[in-house]
Amino acid sequence: MVRRILYGLAILATLFGVWGIYDRIVSGHQSAAYGSYVVWGLWVALYLFFTGMAAGTFVFATLDYLFRVPIFARTGRLSLFLSLITLGAGLLHIWLDLGHPERVWKAYLQPNFNSVMDQIVWGYTIFGLIILIMLGMSFQPQRYAGWLKALSAIGLFLALFLSGGVGALLGVQAARPFWHVGLFPVQFPFFSLASGAALLLLVYGLFDRAANEHRRSLLRTLAILTLVLQLIKLYFLWADFSQSVYGGMPMNVAAVNEVLFGRYWWAFWILQLFLGSIVPIIILLWPRLATEPPWAALAGFLVLLGFAAARANIVFPALSVPELPQLIGAFHSSRLQFHYFPSLMEWAVSVGISGLAGLIFLVAYDRLPLTPEHVRSA
Amino acid sequence: MAEPSGKHELDRRELLTKLASAVFAGLVAPAVIGEGAAPARAATLPELPQLPPPRPDEDPVVRMMRDLQRALQKPVEQRRWIMVIDLRKCVGCHACTISCVVENKLPPGVVYRPVLEEEIGTYPHVTRRFIPRPCMQCDRPPCVPVCPVNATWKRPDGIVVIDYEQCIGCRYCITACPYGARTFDFGDRYTEGTPRAQAFLVGQEGAAVHETIPMFEYGRPHPRHDEASPVGNTRKCHFCLHRIERGLLPECVVTCIGRATYFGDANDPESLVSELIARPNVMRLKEELGTEPKVYYLL
Repeated sequence: MVRRILYGLAILATLFGVWGIYDRIVSGHQSAAYGSYVVWGLWVALYLFFTGMAAGTFVFATLDYLFRVPIFARTGRLSLFLSLITLGAGLLHIWLDLGHPERVWKAYLQPNFNSVMDQIVWGYTIFGLIILIMLGMSFQPQRYAGWLKALSAIGLFLALFLSGGVGALLGVQAARPFWHVGLFPVQFPFFSLASGAALLLLVYGLFDRAANEHRRSLLRTLAILTLVLQLIKLYFLWADFSQSVYGGMPMNVAAVNEVLFGRYWWAFWILQLFLGSIVPIIILLWPRLATEPPWAALAGFLVLLGFAAARANIVFPALSVPELPQLIGAFHSSRLQFHYFPSLMEWAVSVGISGLAGLIFLVAYDRLPLTPEHVRSA
Repeated sequence: MAEPSGKHELDRRELLTKLASAVFAGLVAPAVIGEGAAPARAATLPELPQLPPPRPDEDPVVRMMRDLQRALQKPVEQRRWIMVIDLRKCVGCHACTISCVVENKLPPGVVYRPVLEEEIGTYPHVTRRFIPRPCMQCDRPPCVPVCPVNATWKRPDGIVVIDYEQCIGCRYCITACPYGARTFDFGDRYTEGTPRAQAFLVGQEGAAVHETIPMFEYGRPHPRHDEASPVGNTRKCHFCLHRIERGLLPECVVTCIGRATYFGDANDPESLVSELIARPNVMRLKEELGTEPKVYYLL
């Protein structure tokens, strides 16, 4: 029953996305709500979100192939597959966000390696290829054990480098004090790990329903990891915001105020903090709940919801603070606004990409041996 | 009998459209036909405007044109273009903003030189200050190193430019600019959704001509159609590079009604701008960031 509902939702979301992508292709960026001041919108936030999950789930694959952690034995293939899908969803978001998507080849053939963005483009491309190759090899793990180990090591380095790199993408910009924090590249790998753990909780909670001791142990381990990473995330949040407010730099304080008390305060207090952090922490603190598949899935989903809101709360507020205060009224245009809420087309594209990623996962999960039998039902 | 009348209207509309097109085409034809992309080298200078002999009481615009012509005789790497804006003279008329829009055929939402308005004090003890904000043409531009495809760079004469055919539209440079001086061309049009009219310069037939004729940024024609660049690109002020390479001052300088904006070569000690920036009442925006802007304000 749950599977059917998920299939239905994924198909509907994909169809909605077809309209959105059609609009994006035909009308360019004209239906988008972002402008020249809040210049990055929903798609960039979700690019950070999905690629974070990709890096996080890959790290969990290395627990199987590289570190041989018994509890994660033979879970690597599913982790790799999740990593591939989420990476694809993230990259599709950012590709559609480009003004000239057809010129993306220039980032490869005419690169500026001094640009963090170009480093990330190359990094994600290599990362994606490594996932693909490893996924292929994972169907014959005995034969390719050595290769899987070596590629895991390279991929692990890339996953951490790319997570940190995404933090650096924002952090190197001195023009945006809210982003220009030395700890940004340090924080993002933790965020990636946490979202990877949460995605695995969701997937194992929803699909791997066989009641056996191994699965319970897996859920318990993922729950503890998610819990610890959630607490670290909250500490980073506190450190960021308290330093900004105490420091008193106007652009920084304005950005924090925008997150906490601005037009979209609910995205922080309700989505990111209450639903995305406090509720899952309560669930995960309770061992009996944390190892019950539906509750584990709920906790994973809520953590991911919180991370999606957190990504938006990192990207938008920094851009909502004028570089020069008088820019607000200097020249009037709908493209020169300092507030932003995604348009219907933007939502459609994001819902569609998420739906398509979900649909691909559902089909693959049903058709491919992504989880070995001893995990699934032994 | 309705048909002939409708036919007549149609003819008139066609005639007006063709007339409008012809007038605008006539205005831009010299640049389209061959005169287009003259390089910045002193050796290949185009014919420069003739100037009257120097006089002590001459208009600063004439002096700046003389300074400009002198600078153009030098190799490009020996020039250092700067702009000086006297805030005491700026009356906030926005003529510079509008003339820039016209010169570069800027679409809705794209602006190179807005005028920031600041109110100081509380009523009734209030003053207003107007701060025109072109691109600062930073000596250490934060927008340049972030570009993933080298689509933007600082020229030898210090002007930061964009190659529209190279730009992929990622907008990273926009987020990196501390002055909000870069905007994105979304492909919007002023005439979109406006009524059709039979007048010469209003309604889609007339006004759309302005939107379809090419602009000449960077010395070459850029016709505006569909999704072709610069639609989907970042755009910015370039000190009217296409004008200065022909011995003309930037449009915002010549249209300033208060003579509040000055332009010239800072590497020429005889130039007006060199004199102005030697004064003690000079400041630059956000100097603490170390971007070394080349737009100076006189307070």
